[in-house]
Amino acid sequence: MTAIEVTQLSALIIFAANALLVAGLIALKTVHRSRARRHHRRKTQYMALISRHVTYANCTDPITNRMASDPAFLDALIDVRNAVVGPEVETLSGIVDRHGVIALQEARLRSQFPLGRRLRAAVALAELGDESAAATLMDHLADREPEVRIQAARGLGRMKWTPAIDAIVARFPVETPWVRARFADTLLGFGAAATWPLIAYIRVNHHFEREGPVAAIRTLAALGDDQAAQPLIEVLRNATDVEVRIATIEALGLLGSLRSAPALRNQARSADWRVRAKAMTAIGDIGDAGSVDIIASGLNDANWWVRRNAAAALTRVKGGVDRLCAALGGDDQYAAHAAAEALTEAGEVGAARQRLDDGRPLERDRVLVERLIGVGA
Amino acid sequence: MVLERKRILVGDDSETITTLLTAALESSGYEVTTASDGQETYDLGRGGEFDLVIIDQLMPGLLGLEVIDRWHDEGMQTPVIVLTGVDDDRTAVDSLDKGAVDFVRKPFRVPELLARVRHRLEA
Repeated sequence: MTAIEVTQLSALIIFAANALLVAGLIALKTVHRSRARRHHRRKTQYMALISRHVTYANCTDPITNRMASDPAFLDALIDVRNAVVGPEVETLSGIVDRHGVIALQEARLRSQFPLGRRLRAAVALAELGDESAAATLMDHLADREPEVRIQAARGLGRMKWTPAIDAIVARFPVETPWVRARFADTLLGFGAAATWPLIAYIRVNHHFEREGPVAAIRTLAALGDDQAAQPLIEVLRNATDVEVRIATIEALGLLGSLRSAPALRNQARSADWRVRAKAMTAIGDIGDAGSVDIIASGLNDANWWVRRNAAAALTRVKGGVDRLCAALGGDDQYAAHAAAEALTEAGEVGAARQRLDDGRPLERDRVLVERLIGVGA
Repeated sequence: MVLERKRILVGDDSETITTLLTAALESSGYEVTTASDGQETYDLGRGGEFDLVIIDQLMPGLLGLEVIDRWHDEGMQTPVIVLTGVDDDRTAVDSLDKGAVDFVRKPFRVPELLARVRHRLEA
């Protein structure tokens, strides 16, 4: 065989292999589409069947155990479950009970493989939110698959299974940021019931770890329960980790309790600029007029972020705008620039100009605009 | 004597909602036609052959309130019930402002929806 013949044969083999591959992929896609279409058709039929049972108490159309084990039936059941409230949900629970839907999904979740089926089972149990699955979902909060853990927490949250709160919080230090964030979302669904378990966890652990307590503190802030303010003030007093302190300061600002003002003023004097900067913002968030002096002192801070946050905070605190006007005319040009930027962003400059145009200025308006021109803003 | 069944148009892009409402309304003796987007709902409803329309606010093509607006401009008198999301207070108010006779929040109680439909058709 000549070299040319070998080359031609190789090209032919490569071409044939490619053609086979493409044909295989097309066949695979066709099969997949066909399966998806059949699944959708069955789901539509099941949806109609389930709807008849939900809306007509004496419906005699049969639902068999074989139907109930079909993934399309489960999808239909979940969709209808999410569309209705009230006694219809009990009718759906009756269907779930009679046909062992929960037990089947629990068995699938407990099996080792395939992952897709386990995941589908976890989602189904989470969506159905049936309390009989609570124990299984609790077990799977520590599942080897992150998405299964997320679904387990979601399901427990959906059924407001309060014993799960401690178990979810306890997972904070070992979870990846993504899973931890989803767990935090779930805890928000529990509302104020999650406040004290989170506080207990933070109190015990903030000396030993960082990520878990920081996530728990942020969750407390998002919950917005005023009860968390005092315990967080205590955490702030004792915390040595700077990230924990920053998260706590931010949370106290978001909770908006004036009780936290003294603790935040202390943090505004911290040696760490990140802590000072966050404290300025938090004091602005709670709008504590008694802290106006310490925020104004932040305008002369050596760090740009602290000056910027202090200036922004002053626009939200009573008497703060006057202090910013004073800074505009002061010797510290960095403070003057921070003040000019904050006043402009807060709309104070525009409002002052408008009042001047309308002939009804406040006492400070003319000075503000003149000094602003002096600063070059 | 044959009693004529009342005709209801259900416009919702969720197949679950249209299937559920079809089952509920048909079991109550109504004749139901469904549409899966705003444009189709508008086209089917503009002829005025329905006794009642149940329409979802968030649909592809045209929003529910846009459909009501157009029908209103064309002088259509068919009563409309709007389906809205649970946290969608603005739509609930806007839909009444635009001439809808009622609104129902999703997820809903089927008997309550049927009672509202009955009330409108027998009014």
